[in-house]
Amino acid sequence: MRNVLLTAACAATLATGAFAQEITLGRFFGACEDAGTDTTTSTGEACIIQSIINAADAELDGISINTLPTDWGNYYDQIKAAYAGGTPPDVHVMHRHRIPEFAGLGALAEISGDLEAAGIDPDDWSPAALEAVTYNGGIYGVPMDFHANLWHVNMEIMAEAGLVEDGKPVLPSSPEELLAHAQQVKEATGKDYLAADFAQFPIGVRVVLALIWQQGANIFTEDGTATINTEAGRNAVTAITQLFDAGLADPQLNYADSQQAFLNGEAAILVNGTWVVDFYTAEAAKEEVGLDDYYVADFPTLFDTGATWADSHMWAIPSTLDGEKKAAALKVLAFINDHNIDWARTGHMAVRKSVVESDAYRSLPHRDEYTGTAAIAKDTPPSQRYGAIQDVLNRELQAIWLTGKPVEDALDDAELEVQDLLDR
Amino acid sequence: MQNPRKPASRLSQTQAAWILLAPFLFTYGLFLIYPFFRGFWISLHDWNLLAVAFNPDAKQFVGLRNYERVMWGRNIEWGPLAAPFWQLLGIAGLAVSVLLRGTKRLSRFNAIALGVASVLVIILPGFHPGEEGRWYDRRFWPTVANTIVFVGLAVPGVTISALLLAAALNRETRAMGALRTLFFLSQVLSVTVVTLIWQIMFSPRQGLIANITETFGGTPINWLTDEQFAMAAIVIATIWWSLGIAMILFLAGLQDISKDIYEAAALDNAKGARAFWYVTLPNLKRTVTLVVVLQIILHFQVFGQSHLMTQGGPNDTTQVLVRYIYQTGFRDSELGRASAMAVFLFVIMGTFSVIQFIVGREKT
Repeated sequence: MRNVLLTAACAATLATGAFAQEITLGRFFGACEDAGTDTTTSTGEACIIQSIINAADAELDGISINTLPTDWGNYYDQIKAAYAGGTPPDVHVMHRHRIPEFAGLGALAEISGDLEAAGIDPDDWSPAALEAVTYNGGIYGVPMDFHANLWHVNMEIMAEAGLVEDGKPVLPSSPEELLAHAQQVKEATGKDYLAADFAQFPIGVRVVLALIWQQGANIFTEDGTATINTEAGRNAVTAITQLFDAGLADPQLNYADSQQAFLNGEAAILVNGTWVVDFYTAEAAKEEVGLDDYYVADFPTLFDTGATWADSHMWAIPSTLDGEKKAAALKVLAFINDHNIDWARTGHMAVRKSVVESDAYRSLPHRDEYTGTAAIAKDTPPSQRYGAIQDVLNRELQAIWLTGKPVEDALDDAELEVQDLLDR
Repeated sequence: MQNPRKPASRLSQTQAAWILLAPFLFTYGLFLIYPFFRGFWISLHDWNLLAVAFNPDAKQFVGLRNYERVMWGRNIEWGPLAAPFWQLLGIAGLAVSVLLRGTKRLSRFNAIALGVASVLVIILPGFHPGEEGRWYDRRFWPTVANTIVFVGLAVPGVTISALLLAAALNRETRAMGALRTLFFLSQVLSVTVVTLIWQIMFSPRQGLIANITETFGGTPINWLTDEQFAMAAIVIATIWWSLGIAMILFLAGLQDISKDIYEAAALDNAKGARAFWYVTLPNLKRTVTLVVVLQIILHFQVFGQSHLMTQGGPNDTTQVLVRYIYQTGFRDSELGRASAMAVFLFVIMGTFSVIQFIVGREKT
């Protein structure tokens, strides 16, 4: 395999001429074989991003792009190790929540002065997108999307349970209603109301966070005090655990299994991100897949105000890059920025005003069903310990629903540990 | 004909030895000794992985504070009955070792080993946070305990199944040769492949195990997300994976046992299982010790199975030491703290290496 890659890399170098700038690119999103260079027909995050990268490699004169093999789960560990070893990729994707950590240490290049020359117009970014890549007054990346938690709905099951009105799903507006709807679905169809990855990746954490935010609370304050074992925290957790206790949802499903349960038509609702909308649309169209009538809804408001977990993907370049290499890296960022509409096909929300207002964007499948999400998008306060804090919450919440740890104890422990992390 | 060259131009034996050893010593020093001492040096600092990379002065010497922050806590007390089960077990172990040594039924080395282990089991679990106290790092000791549980399950599992397989496959037929190769094959796979295979096997929806349970009318187990089964799941995958080397070692040991002994035993009516118990096992004693100690050292370093199959979950029940070191060093960028944990792991594995060294020199 390595030989094949090396040969391919050599061949590519020869083909593009000895003067080509080689740009190394680090990304997550998973692998896509044979993505091609057609950015308008690929499906799913991995293939869409790879087709954009391949197109950039083919169309940008004098630039060849080498996509580094990286893995989802260990992405930031790999990137960090690369920075620490002095060999970071020339261009890499990251989440907005990591900016405090990376930009705070001087790892990322501040590029506000370079955007225009590279053909990127920051005025076309929505204010929220600009804010997402801004840190201490500087711009540290090119935003690519907003993504958020949605409710993916199986309309057939909802209809059977009498939870459809005017072609739209009827979603709960309080924890009590959530339980009632779930019972309604169980009685009418024998199926689970809600599925999500409560057992592996922090999707369950994001659900609970959203419910905490909906009560106007947060898990820690801007000045670094953890506030987790609060009434808001307990309300948020019990809104979910009441479903597990009543046997109306299964906390033991991981990401792949919960997705499979939804696609098999075994659950009415799947809580998952914007990144799977085009994939589920494609699956629902298939004959052999249990899910037939697919709908996408905004995360419902169970408490006072709307809120759903959200984040942004963005592209950054290391501060150590300069000269022609930096110019070439910026061209790659500009190319990705130009293909914002293609990326939006995944289901993510676009960052460019010109794209959001275009007909092509508005007519994307299911796009009109979750227009409310942008307004309720939210995340925890910025912290250099984001990854570790998410991990603490994931562990303690899993302890509640997978091992029966009392809610009070788990939230208490989570608060102690998050405080430890904030104090370090 | 005598050697025409003058003796002076020849190297002495010592010189020749040094020259021949030099390449090894150089590599060993560069890639093992130096990194080890550097790791220890890092463990004495507050050392942020990224910050130090961009500014070498960003580290701060803190002495042994990383060790304290990892292993100690506020108001830690020691109680003789803080963990009754373990401490009573330790007292029982101590009593047994004294008793058996007194009646000469245990060799001196084994008696001392059992005694030391028992004393540790009495002392270590006795530490606990007193009133208003708490561990500075609440995850470290549970993580160590998980690692020990993993080793405690995986090592006997591998040893016993490899021994049984080796005994069954120790025949000179073509089919047995093919089976030996087959059982060894899993060993050549990388941990990513092994965990991928077993994640599919354990999946409650499409997995082989779930399908079999369902055929017999049972409800499938969520192996990887159930608190009671997650550790068992990674142990099973580990046994399957690391069976090969142990089996080969046992096969080599088995082939060293003279056929005459079996013939003599057969005359005394010891065949089959009796022969295995009274002839094979005693003759394999040294191989068993070797396999057990090697496996202990190997499995204390478990990482991939836990990291890829369960992500340490559910509720940290499969969080193991190396994964915690990895997370502390790379996710949290706290290289100093991570190095302190790594030194702790080194001490544990070093202890077992010393035991292996001593046992290896003991006369049988």
